[in-house]
Amino acid sequence: MHNLSTKKVFALFVIFGWILLIVADRVDELRVYQGATIAITTLAIASIIILTGYSGQVSLGHGAFLAIGAYAAALSQTYWQSPFWFTLLMSVIVTSLIGFILGFAAGRLSGPYLAGTTLALAVGLPTLANQFTFLGGETGLVYDAGNPPARFGEDFTLYKWFFWISAFVVLIAMFLIRNLLHSRYGRTWKALRANPTAAQLCGINVAQSKILAFTISAGAAGLSGALLGMISIVAPSAFPLSLSFTLITGAVLAGVTSLAGSMLGAVILVVIPEIAEVISTSLGESEKVISNLPGFIVSVLLILTVLFSPNGPAESIRKRREHHQKAKH
Amino acid sequence: MISLRRNKKSVLFASVVTSVALAASVVPANAETGVSSSEIKLGITVPMTGIAAPGYNKVAPAMKAYFDYLNANGGIYGRKVNLIIKDDRYIPQEAINKTNELILKDRVFALVGQLGTANNLAIASKVRLGSRKIPSIGVLTGFSGFADKKKYPTTFMSFPSYAAEGRIIGTYINENLASKTVCLVSQNDDFGTDAAKGFTAAGVKFAEHVKYVSGTQSSATAQVWIGKLVAAKCEVVVLMTVSSATAPVLAVANAAGYKPQWILGSVGSDTTTLKLSLAPAGIPAAQAAALFNGAIGLSFAPDPSDTADEYVKLFREVNANYNKGVEFDNNVAIGMNYALVVAQALRAAGTSPTRAKLIKAMETKGSTFASIGYSPMGWTATSHAGHSAFWFGKFNLAGELKPLDAARTLYTTDNNATQPVTKTTAKRAALPAKGIPTNS
Repeated sequence: MHNLSTKKVFALFVIFGWILLIVADRVDELRVYQGATIAITTLAIASIIILTGYSGQVSLGHGAFLAIGAYAAALSQTYWQSPFWFTLLMSVIVTSLIGFILGFAAGRLSGPYLAGTTLALAVGLPTLANQFTFLGGETGLVYDAGNPPARFGEDFTLYKWFFWISAFVVLIAMFLIRNLLHSRYGRTWKALRANPTAAQLCGINVAQSKILAFTISAGAAGLSGALLGMISIVAPSAFPLSLSFTLITGAVLAGVTSLAGSMLGAVILVVIPEIAEVISTSLGESEKVISNLPGFIVSVLLILTVLFSPNGPAESIRKRREHHQKAKH
Repeated sequence: MISLRRNKKSVLFASVVTSVALAASVVPANAETGVSSSEIKLGITVPMTGIAAPGYNKVAPAMKAYFDYLNANGGIYGRKVNLIIKDDRYIPQEAINKTNELILKDRVFALVGQLGTANNLAIASKVRLGSRKIPSIGVLTGFSGFADKKKYPTTFMSFPSYAAEGRIIGTYINENLASKTVCLVSQNDDFGTDAAKGFTAAGVKFAEHVKYVSGTQSSATAQVWIGKLVAAKCEVVVLMTVSSATAPVLAVANAAGYKPQWILGSVGSDTTTLKLSLAPAGIPAAQAAALFNGAIGLSFAPDPSDTADEYVKLFREVNANYNKGVEFDNNVAIGMNYALVVAQALRAAGTSPTRAKLIKAMETKGSTFASIGYSPMGWTATSHAGHSAFWFGKFNLAGELKPLDAARTLYTTDNNATQPVTKTTAKRAALPAKGIPTNS
């Protein structure tokens, strides 16, 4: 097996982006909106893959970083009237900074203690918005990407505009993350995840590596949070605890060590409510069924994945194929 | 190490999956979205489950029941009205998601009776109903801002504004309870802020103002609130709260032996809903009624127990025939009433309705539509305000709101509560025969 050069990977990303734009032009608005959601969720799952899949640190509260990113972007727009691109940059800077600070705690904590700390963050953080009026309370803050440029024509809808922004930003972010994970930092994190003691004996600074992983993961999550705020709202209700669990589920379903799988995880998360609706409609449209079925399906999938394919279906398929090839030889 | 060939294959696989998911459907354009030769499709998001569901979950089915009654009587120029109901759990983010589903997937003609201040604000800002020219008829919130046509060009209010309600209650306090220590419990969002604007305009100063975050209301939090009210020695407590907050406040206060003069805002004072909300706390309906017996309340419409009222009488009949097994209350009456209002708006939009025609019809004829409120709605070309007048009453042991004066005096101020409160002799339009509109 050989590695593709960065140039070739870049070309692949450009081609993929081009395909997405062509497809977005030919589908209805609902699919375009779902496409934007998939793109944003992909980046959010990727942020978990950096942290958990590579550096081996478990975060149960990544939704909090999404919230911080969204609020950072919205605040810079509301109070500084910053241009949209700058608000995205602010979301990355602020969440990275907070991730860096939390990384120090992460350096001292591991396993359930770290998971508990991040969980507490996700529980407590969104409620802060209700304590400080400048955060907009339950209604939240207005965060707006503006209308699509007039030169795109009247048929260029708002959701297509959201999709273009999301796809463009996420493709760039994913390209950068992919390169980072294939650099020595990625290898260092994997060594750290496999055996921290052995990694330390090899001269890896464990604490420093953990802090770096936390910082970059938080930055990616913050950026996805800002994009989420763009298509939805920047308010506590947009970042419930269930968001963190959903993202982890997406990462596990896709295979927590597979960056490309993050897209598959995002597609599954977006498609599940549609499947749930079809099932609940056939069951007689009980409101309780409609409201709870998506969560139920996600939970069942999570349990099944952990039981039968703990590293994700993609990893299982690969192992099975390798096993098959070995058997042939 | 992750193999890049595997990575490449995964990227391609994910690309195909995404493309297929995106390309799953292409919908052809229609002459007007949501209108066919046989049907007009409307949509609503309401809390059908979740903390605010008790009571509010009756609004949309009541609307549907009225539309079923209307459809059985010819519909709108022969078209059946199809109301699609989505559960937003009273969460703004969910309201956005579900409204998007209604617009993008179900392709409704208009939104009707969208419930909740925070939800409607979230929808207006993110779904951008105004710039997309999607009508939202009779939003079920009294947030005064929605009357602003420039900011919300396609949104039409139904209730009197919270600001007006605040000023009217404030004026009542000034005139009748000025010597008492007055306190307020309100929701910590635009619902509460809007009402506070009215109280400020009336010059009322609260010894204690308890603000709660929507969704946190429970017996446990109510104990904290009551503690604050007792500490401030409040003799009069105004509750600008939803029913799910009003209920624990009354129950906890009663258990603590705290008995101030309650003034229940119109939002959270439906006694059937309060009884339902108190049941899980082990308080049977008979005891529950005693909790709000003697409380002062106000309403812009008749009490649901007022069977002499022609609107109440009709809606009770429709409820008995098309919404079987559901106890008639304010939520049912409100749901059916705004379905009736929507029916008139659809008729006024003509035989070939478009969204633009619908909006124009509401702006030019809306103030003449028959509606249960004692004062006409303020829909004009410059304002989209709802009803504007309240009457005061006192709750009895049966949970009925009985007028404080035999004449049922109506009090009014402007939508933004900038004008002093005055008495009004406003008259509402008569109910169309059998409740089936024939306007054009």
